[in-house]
Amino acid sequence: MKRRSFIAGVAAASAAVAAGLYRFTGLFVKHYPPTPYDDVLSRLVDREQAVKLGASVPGKLDPKSLAAQLRASLKSDGLAAAADADVAADRMTEVDGWLLPESVALLAALASRV
Amino acid sequence: MTALIDARTLPAATVLEPDLAIIGGGPAGISLALALANTRLKIALLESGGMNFDPKIQKMYSGDEAGVRYTALDAGRLRFMGGSSNHWGGYCRPLDENDFVARDWVPHSGWPITRKALEPYFQKAQALCEAGPWIYDKGNEAQEGPLLPLGQGGLYTSWFQFSKTRDSVLPTYFGHRYEQDLKAARNVTPYVHANVTGIRLAANGQRVDHLDMATLTGSHFTVKPRMVVLAAGAMENARLLLASNDVMPAGVGNQNDLVGRFFADHPTPREVATLVVFGGSLAACYGSNVTLANGAIMRAAFSPAAGFLKAKNVAGSLTTVENPIELDDLGKAAVITTALALGVDASNAKAYLLGCGMELAPDPDRRLRLTGEKDALGLPRLKLDMRLADSDFALYRQTLAELGRQLLASKAGLLRLNYSHREQWLKAMDWGNHHLGTTRMSEDPRQGVVDADGLVHGVSNLYVAGSSVFPTYGSSNPTLNLIALTLRLGDHLKKVMA
Repeated sequence: MKRRSFIAGVAAASAAVAAGLYRFTGLFVKHYPPTPYDDVLSRLVDREQAVKLGASVPGKLDPKSLAAQLRASLKSDGLAAAADADVAADRMTEVDGWLLPESVALLAALASRV
Repeated sequence: MTALIDARTLPAATVLEPDLAIIGGGPAGISLALALANTRLKIALLESGGMNFDPKIQKMYSGDEAGVRYTALDAGRLRFMGGSSNHWGGYCRPLDENDFVARDWVPHSGWPITRKALEPYFQKAQALCEAGPWIYDKGNEAQEGPLLPLGQGGLYTSWFQFSKTRDSVLPTYFGHRYEQDLKAARNVTPYVHANVTGIRLAANGQRVDHLDMATLTGSHFTVKPRMVVLAAGAMENARLLLASNDVMPAGVGNQNDLVGRFFADHPTPREVATLVVFGGSLAACYGSNVTLANGAIMRAAFSPAAGFLKAKNVAGSLTTVENPIELDDLGKAAVITTALALGVDASNAKAYLLGCGMELAPDPDRRLRLTGEKDALGLPRLKLDMRLADSDFALYRQTLAELGRQLLASKAGLLRLNYSHREQWLKAMDWGNHHLGTTRMSEDPRQGVVDADGLVHGVSNLYVAGSSVFPTYGSSNPTLNLIALTLRLGDHLKKVMA
């Protein structure tokens, strides 16, 4: 085997292993199983932090109704616009004392409950 | 130049006959004496302590307490020339217009005067406090660093100014600072170790006839003035009026059972909230005192605007940035999730703890009473019933929540409310040691001990000066304001005693 072919083979194998690790393990990025609420959860840039936060959102919140409420508030404008609207309308939620826009708190709650 | 007289050296049975006797050599008493310096009035400034702290004299302030834990009665004030300015923090801020107005959501609120009545005196009061040029409301323009954008809402950035640093002394200690000025005034005689033990009314109860005086060395003398101003602090003013009960059994000015009631202070609970600034460090003027090129020393605070007070029925407050802290994992998660949701970069975010000074609602049952125990001169000691309503905390929490909302609206930061239960608030409680309200001002004798000029209702020649006359308290530190009010009294006395 030529030296060039050997190096190319090793590089290809390494890339395949790295891709496998990326996709199928939590070594680089945490992967979440599919849920019926992925259209909503996809608004989260850092779902892991949202899960941490959402665990402290009080109350027995049902994911289905949370998702329905979020779909209504998020509409097509996105999370930033929904959060801005919450703040302007004083729709704030307290999570362990942290004052958050309601949409952000609900989205974090959903992330932690699926 | 007059000398400062040690009352212990006066011959027994001395009778002094000044035009005006000022009881108390604190900021109010000294400011009044200076305001009337070099007039035709012969003035005796009667200070119970000496020129410096003496634990034996200080002990005469001790008393009992019940209710909410509060500063010991002999610890929150000082009994020597300069009074409590000898341990003040130098914070100055004028009361807001709204502080004077009766608020329909706050029982017993409102002054019989407006802020306009004090405005002619603020500049002079500022000078006596050595707090530099009058800036306050224009603080935003005077700062060099960027201010935290608060967005539209109920709170705005307000400003303290500070009594000036002189050498290693911060701030102005009125006794030492103005000792020479008092001595230089040809018509003012300051007496030290001169304790008033009784305000003796004429038989008809309508005027002060004389003051009983005593020293801790056992001598007694008399002061027989035309006019008296009681300026001994909100605790001692009440004590002297209540204890002087030989002619009026309930005490002088206490015909409507108001003397000693409505005591107040500014609660200053620590670490009330955690502020996260998405963009990183705050300008220096938030967490510390900043000296401007013109000599003014300033510090920023967050204050509720008049419209918000009325709309939400909250009380006054001044929230300040204290020290930086590290966030826990939940805090970091809150910051990252919220900043990403808002589309804000929070990679350099910094967190700070907030402190505050809160205004209390007037409460007639938060009061001082006399006890059976007596001090070294035979004067009954005081007992304080200290109370804090749950609503005092709840209303301030609403104000903090509005601050949090505004920070999000301006995408500048995030706020955590650190306390939600009474026990948490009480555990974190400190006090401003701003004694207020025990001889409140009202034109109606059924609602107040003194009238709008500070004259005790029903007694023609006895005035009260100091923050004991504040009927509603605001959240500003009282010294600057009580001095302005005292200077106004000085002008009034010049007219009525001419």
